[in-house]
Amino acid sequence: MNAPGKYAIVTAAILGFGAARLPYEAALSKELRDRNLFPVRLDIDTRERIGQTFSAVSLGGLRTLVATFLNLRAFTAFTETRWDDVAETFETIVALAPRTRYYWETGSWHQAYNAASYYVNDTKLPPVRRRYEWRNSIAKGRAFLERGIRNNPNDWSLHNNLGFLLTDPNKFTSFRDIDAAFLEAADHYAKAAASPGALDYVNRSRCYALARVAGHEAEALDMARRLYQESRKNHTPTLLCLLFVLESHEDPDGDSIARAERIFGSLETAYEQLSMHWQRTRERFPVHGVAQALGAMEIRLGIPAAESVINQPLPAPVGPDTWFQQ
Amino acid sequence: MNHTPSSSTAPARGNHFGRILVIAGHAFTQLVRMKVFYFMAVFALIAIASNFLSLPQHAGPESMGAQVLNQIKSWSLGAMTLFSVVLSIVATALLLPKDIEDRTLYTILAKPVPRFDYLAGKLLGVILLVLVSLLMMDALMVGALQLRTSMVMSEQVGMVKSLGWGDDAIESLKQEIRANGSNWSLQGAVLAVFLRAAVMAALAILISTFSTSTLFTTIVSFLMYFIGYFQADARDVYLHGGEAGQGAVARIGSLLVSLVIPDFQLFNVIDAAIEGQAVPLVAMGKLCFVGIYYTLFYLFVSWFVFADKEF
Repeated sequence: MNAPGKYAIVTAAILGFGAARLPYEAALSKELRDRNLFPVRLDIDTRERIGQTFSAVSLGGLRTLVATFLNLRAFTAFTETRWDDVAETFETIVALAPRTRYYWETGSWHQAYNAASYYVNDTKLPPVRRRYEWRNSIAKGRAFLERGIRNNPNDWSLHNNLGFLLTDPNKFTSFRDIDAAFLEAADHYAKAAASPGALDYVNRSRCYALARVAGHEAEALDMARRLYQESRKNHTPTLLCLLFVLESHEDPDGDSIARAERIFGSLETAYEQLSMHWQRTRERFPVHGVAQALGAMEIRLGIPAAESVINQPLPAPVGPDTWFQQ
Repeated sequence: MNHTPSSSTAPARGNHFGRILVIAGHAFTQLVRMKVFYFMAVFALIAIASNFLSLPQHAGPESMGAQVLNQIKSWSLGAMTLFSVVLSIVATALLLPKDIEDRTLYTILAKPVPRFDYLAGKLLGVILLVLVSLLMMDALMVGALQLRTSMVMSEQVGMVKSLGWGDDAIESLKQEIRANGSNWSLQGAVLAVFLRAAVMAALAILISTFSTSTLFTTIVSFLMYFIGYFQADARDVYLHGGEAGQGAVARIGSLLVSLVIPDFQLFNVIDAAIEGQAVPLVAMGKLCFVGIYYTLFYLFVSWFVFADKEF
């Protein structure tokens, strides 16, 4: 056979073979993508950000390897407090490895905690600008974590981290509607609890978040009672205090001394833990009936008025209003 | 040399499979004598470095375990991909020119050895070499990973016990560490690396049948390899280009790329395995089918081109 004829046959065979495999490959590609076994396609922005070399490597199915190196780059930016570079690098990292929880959590933590704290302490900037950057960093960290959850809806740790961020006393003052933030936190803790591998404490965290939302006291009380019954591991000081507070809200005229003894086991323990609860003003836990109960217990325990916790000054409020004064 | 009439006229003795195995064994030995396994030292260095090099990490000690294990996996599988592809392309590109240079090709083809058996044997030799290399690298990776997993496990469990974590929390932590350690999905990723290298070797042997030099085969093969990662994009442009308002020329161009170039993105399940996801057997079976389909097709086309090639 002459060469042109031969090459014509080869070309036809390659095209025919290609046509035969095209639908199969398209279907397999879709199947792998649907099963989350396939990395999402890199958009133009990400390809530009990682540069040609890394782009070629990441195309070769080595995205996690590129993400590992970019993680080192982000660490350098973090140590040099270049927060925009940290954010941008983590944007690229999660585009390359969207199923790695660690990157979502670390990227969010850098913004919402490290960058936000940096702006609290950066006295070189004017207060208004610091306050703006602080709020903005927390919002960026929150949005990053929310995207992580959209990419990994069944990851309990991401839900838990967002719940933690939304109920953190150093952060929630940056949100416009704090009640809405607590409600959202409770929702994320519920989703975390329903996800595989979740640890028990997320149920308690959900109760702590819900108890702080006005109008949801009954729901929070039900949850606190269920947790209390479920296991002794749930008998944490916070849960016991909230159980006491929420019961007092439900029945304000009940015998507070009897209630305290029933919940805490002894009057001394009740007094100690409710005193601490009374002083935890920053966390915005409800305090229904606490002052009245403490007063009654002080009489019963013979605590002099000078040592009364109710007469002690409450810790000075801290937050953006004090942080950004100078 | 002129056309070798003996190879086409004299009847071949023995069975095809036996001849292919003999040629494969010879090709494997020939490549091993080129000291290709020296790269194992580099791989061992990478495996050890990823295991013991203390790179800066963002998170505190409580969340370090999974990340360190992921790092070992991504470094090792990255090196495996690189070595296997380079090995499959360069070794294949070397084989035919080396046989011509040593005049071994004339000796073989002067005997009643069908040219298909010769090509299949050579390809099998390269695939065998890639397989042995990958198995050795896999063993090193698994060893490093097992060692580090047990270290991470004892460190993390010791730490959380001192923090007073409950039994269920400790068990959950152990499960997470195990999921990021060595598992069957990781072996699926190694299989995907092997399949991709096998397809690449078959493609390189096809190119070498009409190429004029080792350099040409190597360069064109690497080009095909990189274009192969855009094949899926080209296919999408062709399949969905009409909805996006792509012009006819762009669609025809993308169709041609989709038909001619293999889709190497299909083997990118490696990242999912590194991220701790389970790769189902059905998906691996389908990938194996694709790999074998490509390899056999390229082998038959190579034979068709090589069948009456004159030297």
